[in-house]
Amino acid sequence: MTAALGQPARSVLACGEVRTCLLPSFQAFDARAAAQLLRLRADEPVRISERPSMYALSPEILTGVDCRLPASNGSKVRSVGTVAARAALTEGRLLQATAYFSLPAAGPDIRRPWGQYLVRPGLVEPFGKLPQQATVEGMLRGARRGELDLGMIAEGLLAALRRHALLDRRVPFKSSPTRLRWVARRGDQQASLVNFTVAEGGLRTMELRLPEHIPAAAAAGLCEDLALHDWLLTTVQHMLDNSRLGTADGPSVVEALHPVVVHLLHLWMPRAHVDPALGHLWDVLEEKPGFSRQWENLSRRIRDRLALQAVAMPHQALSTS
Amino acid sequence: MLIFAASDKGGTGRSVTSANLAYHRAMAGDDVCYLDFDFGSPTAAAVFDVADARQQTEDRGLHAYLIGEVSEPARIDVWSETEHQVLRFPPPGSGRLVLMPGDVSGGEFAISGDNLRRCVDLLTTLYYEFDLVVVDLSAGRSYAVDMVLEATAQAEMREITARWLVFHRWTRQHVAAAASLVFGKRGILAGGADRGHDEEALRNSIRFVRAAVPDPESPLWSQVSPTQSAWMRKTDGDLKQLASTHGIGYSQVLGSVPLEPVLQWREQLITDEDVLDSQIANQETWQALSQLAGRLTDDKYWEQV
Repeated sequence: MTAALGQPARSVLACGEVRTCLLPSFQAFDARAAAQLLRLRADEPVRISERPSMYALSPEILTGVDCRLPASNGSKVRSVGTVAARAALTEGRLLQATAYFSLPAAGPDIRRPWGQYLVRPGLVEPFGKLPQQATVEGMLRGARRGELDLGMIAEGLLAALRRHALLDRRVPFKSSPTRLRWVARRGDQQASLVNFTVAEGGLRTMELRLPEHIPAAAAAGLCEDLALHDWLLTTVQHMLDNSRLGTADGPSVVEALHPVVVHLLHLWMPRAHVDPALGHLWDVLEEKPGFSRQWENLSRRIRDRLALQAVAMPHQALSTS
Repeated sequence: MLIFAASDKGGTGRSVTSANLAYHRAMAGDDVCYLDFDFGSPTAAAVFDVADARQQTEDRGLHAYLIGEVSEPARIDVWSETEHQVLRFPPPGSGRLVLMPGDVSGGEFAISGDNLRRCVDLLTTLYYEFDLVVVDLSAGRSYAVDMVLEATAQAEMREITARWLVFHRWTRQHVAAAASLVFGKRGILAGGADRGHDEEALRNSIRFVRAAVPDPESPLWSQVSPTQSAWMRKTDGDLKQLASTHGIGYSQVLGSVPLEPVLQWREQLITDEDVLDSQIANQETWQALSQLAGRLTDDKYWEQV
């Protein structure tokens, strides 16, 4: 089966990977600095929205690929096309890079001139028929050597941004980056979230179903939003679990919790920049495991710890005066 | 903070001591990453008892990453992957302890262009992520040493605190060799200055660690004859004098680790169980390691001398 030349191929899968990390800068970026940082291309502007929270989205850049697709059953499907990558900065504090592409059910058996791939940005065509299930599993498992590696493209973009001259390279606190791999199958009438898993080493995976009219970029936006909030939960939970905080008392508690209050507590804002057609997918995660519930609990714990310190303070102040 | 562990010769206890320091800091609540830059003869996997996990990451180690064969070096979570019975159950509140293994087949490579950029990227991102990053460098003025000297001289890494530990054993040869590794004509200081480091600042970020130091007063030697005992005291005194004339005297020493029979027989982490329950290791060793671990980030021990 060969897709007709020139015809835009209908995609059956969209795959992506999001990397989320703290912007290595002591102060959060304002909108102008964010626009400068994310200007990946001269011909397209950075999109910035200031309501309800400051969010900057870079234009997309393309990476040409010609390699095997990851497949769980070991089938070797060569694929050619372009992977789109973009970066986002939320509240001038959290930096994300996403690499994603769409796959049609089948492609031509020969490699075509580059121009033909370039007019379909973000589309990668398999040679012959695409083994769908194996590709979904392979993408979620991650690329082996010589396979199409979205993580490498996203990480490359992130690394380039981290080297930007605007950054002072001082972080207000230590934190681990996370990565979210996602795969969306096309065809259903209604978008749905099939599963979301939390694996070791900061890895999360997600499976979606998407109607055909929703662009892959919208799915990427949803995944970025989920990845961002998952990063917040992971990071704050890890800080609270630390033994130094667990047994500490006095100024050290304030010192340890200070960065959370200054830099993170106000970042929680699910679906703020998600395509309205996909906003309802958040409900699934709110139901179980309950993202916002956990966040409320964490922020309450932090505020209570600080309140306890504040109660003790006047006594100390009186006794030393 | 980045800690580079260097030594002039092999067998100085560099790897095993620095791994123990990483372990102590992680137990105290720091997130710690241990990088095995001892290309060609990586030992960290054995020290942390993660041989099986090591096998699975065979060709995705630091060497493969630096030469661009893989996009990210493999990470081994020591607490969950170790086969060591005690390490599997770290005290609650412990920080993360992550090992990035080297490659068994890893040879040397060019320190330039992309390889250097990848090294800088790796060290900076780990610095943002971990409280402490320990880099175990192969012995001598090796490629690994040159690589990190070059990397830390880059503009991107200027804000990052990096400290050096130079390990040596307590013998005449080792004292002289350690001094020459740092102060020699082709030493770390000269090499660093050539690459754009401020020599004075670099000098102040280097401290020495004396490993496997026999204490003449130790019960280990309680059976020796009076002549032997006198000789040991005399030699110990001479060595102190020698170290001082080589510029690695007391003020340059971050700490000493006593001669520990367990470490003479086997490269391993000394756990509190080895000291308290089975009592195969000495209390003094545990204390020395714990003290040394604390001093890594205690500025008092890193003031200008």
